[in-house]
Amino acid sequence: MKAGKVLQVALGVLTSIGGFLDVGAIATAADAGASFRFELLWVVLVGTICVIFLVEMAGRLAAVSKHSYADAVRERFGFQFYVWPILAEFVVDFLVLGAEIGGVCIALQLLTGVAFQWWAIPVALAIWLTAWLGTFDFIENSVALLGLVTLAFVAGAVVLHPPWGEVAKGFIPSGAPHEPAHYWFIAVSIMGALISPYLLYFYSSGAIEDGWGEKDLTMNRLVAGVGMGFGSLVQMGVLMTAAMVLAPHGIRVDQYGQIALTLVGPFGEWGYYLFAVSLGITCFGACMEQALETGFIVSQALGWNWGESKRPVEAARFTMAYTLSIAASTLLMVVGIDPLKLTLFSMALTAVMLPLVVTPLLVIMNDRHYLGEHTNGWLANGVVGLIIGLTFVMALVAIPLEYLGG
Amino acid sequence: MADDFPEPPENGTRLRLVRDVLDSQMVDRKQCQSGKVDGIVAELRDDGRLVITAIENGLPEAVRRVSPRVGDWIAALGRRWGVRKGEVYRIPFARVRNTGIDVRIDLDAAATPLLAWERWLREHVVRRIPGAG
Repeated sequence: MKAGKVLQVALGVLTSIGGFLDVGAIATAADAGASFRFELLWVVLVGTICVIFLVEMAGRLAAVSKHSYADAVRERFGFQFYVWPILAEFVVDFLVLGAEIGGVCIALQLLTGVAFQWWAIPVALAIWLTAWLGTFDFIENSVALLGLVTLAFVAGAVVLHPPWGEVAKGFIPSGAPHEPAHYWFIAVSIMGALISPYLLYFYSSGAIEDGWGEKDLTMNRLVAGVGMGFGSLVQMGVLMTAAMVLAPHGIRVDQYGQIALTLVGPFGEWGYYLFAVSLGITCFGACMEQALETGFIVSQALGWNWGESKRPVEAARFTMAYTLSIAASTLLMVVGIDPLKLTLFSMALTAVMLPLVVTPLLVIMNDRHYLGEHTNGWLANGVVGLIIGLTFVMALVAIPLEYLGG
Repeated sequence: MADDFPEPPENGTRLRLVRDVLDSQMVDRKQCQSGKVDGIVAELRDDGRLVITAIENGLPEAVRRVSPRVGDWIAALGRRWGVRKGEVYRIPFARVRNTGIDVRIDLDAAATPLLAWERWLREHVVRRIPGAG
């Protein structure tokens, strides 16, 4: 592989690490570790395998057909079908963007002591300015590089000398040791945070922004596999530090301030600041992706010209779409809705809508019109089939579990 | 007409209207993304032939396929406040070519209502904000 190509792959992998982790991944992993120690590591592993397959397919679709997943779903399934997943995605995007903005605000609250509501509008302005003035490459790469600070969670887990035997056992699926409703609620929330529909839409749009073609299919596989794999390592780091720091003291996660303790354990007072910075950067990156994704899916649903690499005057409707989306979600924080509760609720809601989003993938990835000779093989189809089955089960149980164990 | 605009298909060419035309991305002569095909217009002629005459673009038409009533509401809102005045824009089928996944349209979208919202937002909102380019 040539040096330039290696750099491109490395950058793609870094982007995936930055893009993988968001407020949902941190909150659900910390909750899992605090409540059930290492017992839910297997869910992160299963979720990561699912995400690797899904993201690889979204990238392959975009690289070969030059059409994003949102484009393809409307074109193949028609507006009558597409209107439902897109409406559901609007609702989830609205809530999740609110939660991500909340994550940045909480980080600032932890650093300054000023209540998170006061940060909502300055944070929203910073997000909007970055989207308005930045290009896709700038946003993608800066999020990726700054996101490396989250490796602190992996370092924290190692510094604490985890009981590796117990950790290994966590990767073997097991039933709930106690509080089954809460156990399965967190399991579904972790999956909802990992297999997030926005990743499919965003990744395929990003591949088009980056001008990927058939020659980039190997890179797509590497970025999806290695990048998402590394990203999940960070999430496992969060779970493991929570298991070693919070669980022994019986601390349950019902505020972000408690999750900060996960890094105080291994790094002392500095850990507190490291957590705040990690949370802030991660959520800021996720805000950018979430806001742009809303612009992408509206534009693609209605066939507008779009692109973060275009100047705002060249894609006025696209820029207005993400502007309105940032403004609407900011209101959730201005009125003081608890960011952690909003995050966990959004993750469960994501699980409910997943079948609508994932099922069309099985049809599209076998359509030679779009994929030519790069349609799915039996393994990919088998995995998507399993994922679809899993999403249906999750959709059915998410709300009852939210009520019983959330 | 741009030099690379595809020739019309030969007589007898089979066209899968719903699969290959409806909901497809429209791309104009300047390769500008110009909306999706929201509807297809057919005319029943005196001799009993059903002739496809045009494709349509406009949110009310797309929504009418889900709920005619909601589509009418959106059209009414558009007539009152919309830049396109709720108009569904029709493109004669003679100016339409299906090329693979997209639908090419033989016109300059910038000079039609297809990009009316884009123009309005650009001139009245986006251009007035610093850094819009």
